[in-house]
Amino acid sequence: MSVITVKNISKTFRNVHAVRDLDFEVEQGTCFGFLGPNGAGKTTMMKMLYGVAARDKDCRGKIDVFGYDPARDELAIKYLSGVVPQENNLDDELDVFQNLMIYSKFYALPSAVTKERIASLLAFLELSEKVKARIRELSGGMKRRLVIARALLNNPRLLILDEPTTGLDPQVRHVIWDKLRQLRKQGTTILLTTHYMEEAFQICDTVLIMDKGAKVMEGSPLQLLKDNIEKYVLEVSDVQTQQLLADHRLPEAVRADVSEGVSRFYCDEIDRLKEVANTLEGNHYYLRQANLEDVFLKATGRGLNEKQ
Amino acid sequence: MRSSSPIPYPGLSHRLFSVWYRHMRVYTKNLLSNGLPPFLEPLLFLLGVGIGLGKYIEGTMDGMAYIDFLGTGLLVTAAMYTAAFECTFGTFIRLEFDKVYDGMLAAPITVNNLIVGEIIWAGTKGLFFSFAVVCVLTLFGIIHLPQGLLAPLVGFLTGVMFATMSLLVTSFVKNINHFNFYHTGFLSPMFFFSGVVFPVSNLPVPLRAFAEIVPLTHAVRLVRAVCTGTYRLALLGDLAYIAAFIAIVGALAVRRLRGRLVS
Repeated sequence: MSVITVKNISKTFRNVHAVRDLDFEVEQGTCFGFLGPNGAGKTTMMKMLYGVAARDKDCRGKIDVFGYDPARDELAIKYLSGVVPQENNLDDELDVFQNLMIYSKFYALPSAVTKERIASLLAFLELSEKVKARIRELSGGMKRRLVIARALLNNPRLLILDEPTTGLDPQVRHVIWDKLRQLRKQGTTILLTTHYMEEAFQICDTVLIMDKGAKVMEGSPLQLLKDNIEKYVLEVSDVQTQQLLADHRLPEAVRADVSEGVSRFYCDEIDRLKEVANTLEGNHYYLRQANLEDVFLKATGRGLNEKQ
Repeated sequence: MRSSSPIPYPGLSHRLFSVWYRHMRVYTKNLLSNGLPPFLEPLLFLLGVGIGLGKYIEGTMDGMAYIDFLGTGLLVTAAMYTAAFECTFGTFIRLEFDKVYDGMLAAPITVNNLIVGEIIWAGTKGLFFSFAVVCVLTLFGIIHLPQGLLAPLVGFLTGVMFATMSLLVTSFVKNINHFNFYHTGFLSPMFFFSGVVFPVSNLPVPLRAFAEIVPLTHAVRLVRAVCTGTYRLALLGDLAYIAAFIAIVGALAVRRLRGRLVS
């Protein structure tokens, strides 16, 4: 059963196409991830879902979230959803408890329910000891978890997160991923944007890779890997070794991608890449499994766009 | 999959209240540093200008002793300044630097709720600042209770009026320093030429027209009438001005600011 349906949605800012003719569906209780470089249109697409960005007037598409159109029923959608914006916009003047308490007013929660829920959310996000702490005293990871707690105040059926773990250390990232998995298990639908391939791989059931406002590919992370890239990669980054390889004939079924700085050789059979590696006379190389990042770079290109 | 029962999001009055509540909690968090100056400022003004300078002023202004004249004027300028600061610098910081509105707009409120809540909050600050002046004026024996207690209501209207105007200005501003033009170029002249420090009737004719056009003059008239208990029919004109100003400028401000909050 899908809870979000987006069909042929476009969004233009003056003459920039932020989102182009996008289609996707999100099933209830799954985690759906938008993956794309900065400026790909991920945030804009998310904002259109809860009515803080408006789709183009002349676009014939539709957006349906829990049966509501954000252009008409933004309040219903917002009531059923929790949002973690890209920036931690907490009130610095207030402490942790007060930040959550103020926000609970937007949902008109009775005060007994508010207190109970704040306590259980702080426990869930491992912030119980910080209940009286000022925002300035919190680390970046704690602030992020507090913003997530805030988004969960009304027990949302849909949790929207814009780059939930950008700039956080690995421990915090793993804790956040673990919490998101738990929420999904409880039936919460999760929608997130990220440019961490690992994040997408770890928690998303479906990934939609976007570039320049348009969908490049969509599918489960494993399926995307299987369909779009060879199994193994050999990376060579120093110039001398690259030179060495340039003179060498590659075995069959090895695909070379030589770009500035790094040469990458892709193949489904690891033995053929080992064969290449053996010709490197002990020079440094890196042989690994292909990952979503390889798919991503193949799909969106290695060069920077003007917004990066 | 639309849910069969309607979604129980809060009604309009609660949504406005929750915006107001957020601002109130943040403001009262630093009660001493935020709550004391509104009392100190009129005190200093009355001591320095009212008593100090007033000693050299013989006769009356509009039938009032100078310190009474000035003191009652401060009831609305205090409301004007606090609302103007709140809805220029305050709003701009929340909008551009702290991104407070991004968080608030993810909750079940609309952009219009957010802006109207902001205006009501600025009105509340106007009410509180006027009340602080009432306390000081009562201490000096300039106004008398209970009629002086009507003055904060005028302070509320003044706050709302300047909130709408300041939000309209904010909707155009891209750089926070540009507010200086508004504060020095518009609010300060109004302070001097709207009948607060001397009567409008003493102004040269062209400036008298300016005084009638700008909002503060009407608030000053209203508050003096309330303090002295002298109600004339012409006051209805001032009230009508204030009501129309709030409606028209408020609608423009909401419309313009909406464009900056929703992309």
